Amino acid sequence: MAEPLIRMQNIRKSYGRVQALEDASFHVNEREIVGLLGDNGAGKSTLIKVLSGAVPLTSGDIFIRGKKVNLRSTSDAIAHGIETIYQDSALVTQLSIARNLFLGREPIKPPRFLNRMDQEAMNNVARDLLKQVGISKNIPPTTPIGSLSGGERQAVAIARAMHFDSDLIILDEPTNNLGVAETQGVLSFVRNARDSGHSCIFIAHNIHHVFQVVDRIVVMRRGKVVADDIDPKKTSVAEVERIITGMSDKEIRDAIADGKPSH
Amino acid sequence: MENHSLLQRLIARPEFGPFVLLVVEVAVFWGFNHDFLSPQNISNILAFTVELGLIALAMTLLMTSGEFDLSVGSLFGFSPVLMWTLFNSGITSLEVGFLVALLVAALIGLVNGWFVTQLKIPSFLVTLGMLLVVRGTALFVTDGFPQRTWSAEGSWLANILVGDFFIGPFRIYMSLFWFIAAAIALGYVLTQSRTGNWIQAAGGNPNAARARGVNVSGVKIGLFVLSSLMASFAGIISSLRTSAANPNSGTGYELEVIAMVVIGGTALTGGRGTIIGTVLGILILRVMRNGIVLIGVPGLAYNIFIGAIILGMMALHSWLERRHQAGT
Ligand SMILES: Nc1ncnc2c1ncn2[C@@H]1O[C@H](COP(=O)(O)OP(=O)(O)O)[C@@H](O)[C@H]1O
Ligand SMILES: [Mg+2]
Repeated sequence: MAEPLIRMQNIRKSYGRVQALEDASFHVNEREIVGLLGDNGAGKSTLIKVLSGAVPLTSGDIFIRGKKVNLRSTSDAIAHGIETIYQDSALVTQLSIARNLFLGREPIKPPRFLNRMDQEAMNNVARDLLKQVGISKNIPPTTPIGSLSGGERQAVAIARAMHFDSDLIILDEPTNNLGVAETQGVLSFVRNARDSGHSCIFIAHNIHHVFQVVDRIVVMRRGKVVADDIDPKKTSVAEVERIITGMSDKEIRDAIADGKPSH
Repeated sequence: MENHSLLQRLIARPEFGPFVLLVVEVAVFWGFNHDFLSPQNISNILAFTVELGLIALAMTLLMTSGEFDLSVGSLFGFSPVLMWTLFNSGITSLEVGFLVALLVAALIGLVNGWFVTQLKIPSFLVTLGMLLVVRGTALFVTDGFPQRTWSAEGSWLANILVGDFFIGPFRIYMSLFWFIAAAIALGYVLTQSRTGNWIQAAGGNPNAARARGVNVSGVKIGLFVLSSLMASFAGIISSLRTSAANPNSGTGYELEVIAMVVIGGTALTGGRGTIIGTVLGILILRVMRNGIVLIGVPGLAYNIFIGAIILGMMALHSWLERRHQAGT
């Protein structure tokens, strides 16, 4: 089998005495959309934070296209083509859409020593990108992020990931706090990511959303990957839910009868 | 959003409020006393205004990046004392003394920046500490007495920095041109250059900026150095103009400068700054000080008006900000 785009092997991560990840192994293939599911506290966010360089791992290895990498910061991960989209936090609300898109990579107008941004080019690219990610409203690229809705902000972050050629785009619960139409926008982006050559990790609470868009489902429970090859076309939502909770049918029925989980 | 008329866009700008306030202020003072707009009085206002103004310009960039500097007033007093002490004791020429004073100022800015970005101590505490160190040094070195200042007239350095001449009835100091040049240069940096984008991002959301590869610490350290350099430069200009070097001069300037910057519309919390606003803020406070005395209000009442202006402008800016965030 071909080497996957991302391979994480035996990842452990502890926060003091809390073991957030215990020997988790995980991979993403080229042009693949992976859904990551698991109950609250299962370790999903920790896993992708390790992958996006936001938190250091305790032990384990990360390979990108077969090459071992050491991700010490989010900018390391971005340099390796891994872009993570958190709601809000990655954008500067005071700056315009275009200035956010190009932050840290602003094009310069000659002569270079004047250090002058090419704002016209930035605005033009931003206008095109906003259309591509499905913002149909006519929002000028000079609008500050602070006056956009949650979904529009999400779209700007996604547009940035697409423009700077990220290989892997990670979305951790991107549809929280979004309206119905905005959620549809994000889902259709995830669906299209594969066609534009990107891979994607999609974490969401709504299991139906995950079923709609992903190629493969990975389930985590208590810091471990307990299933990593679930085909959403051949598996039912109920079956996946059972894997997530780690309970049998009978245990679930008992738990509901008792009004509290059995473990 | 796009079919707002030009007038509406003008009104929505953060500089609009300060602009109106300045116009009203000038009109009121002129109404009370027509001498207010006499060439002599205007020349008077400008001479000192630009000296404080230089500090406020640098402070605007620093505050946009989310930090501020309380040590500027002490540097304003310390740098000329250092320059004159070196010169009077025959250690250096005036020019070399000037360069040494700037170099020491840059070092002080570097230390401020290093404490804030590397030791992660809030700039309030770091620069408050530096204020005491620098002011204390100036007082200790001079025993608290003003330095003997040789009348600098005729030296080429003094001519470049504060040489004066008449344009019609207006007495203009060279420092006005330094101020205009600095305002244009820093306005350009803040709004046009990529460094300006980094400054705003560093103040608005430093983690996001860092994630995009922006050297947030580098930007802030650079701005602390700029702030110290400008305060030192302004102090020396002022000392040459008045032929005085008092270790106590500049006391309390840090607060007046920060007031000028926030009145102009720069956010105290960082992320948003305007040089045009700061220029207006500088004029608002200096015109107020001059006008109050001119129309016969006791000078001691000055602070009442300044405080009222600050509170009023903060209310206006926060109202505009909320309206802006609401997406109008
Ligand atoms: N910064 C932190 N400090 C201490 N414990 C943490 C921290 N972040 C996460 N954890 C713990 O790690 C475990 C996994 O959390 P997380 O990865 O956020 O789960 P998920 O995203 O699947 O809900 C939880 O037990 C959580 O309490
Ligand atoms: Mg989570």
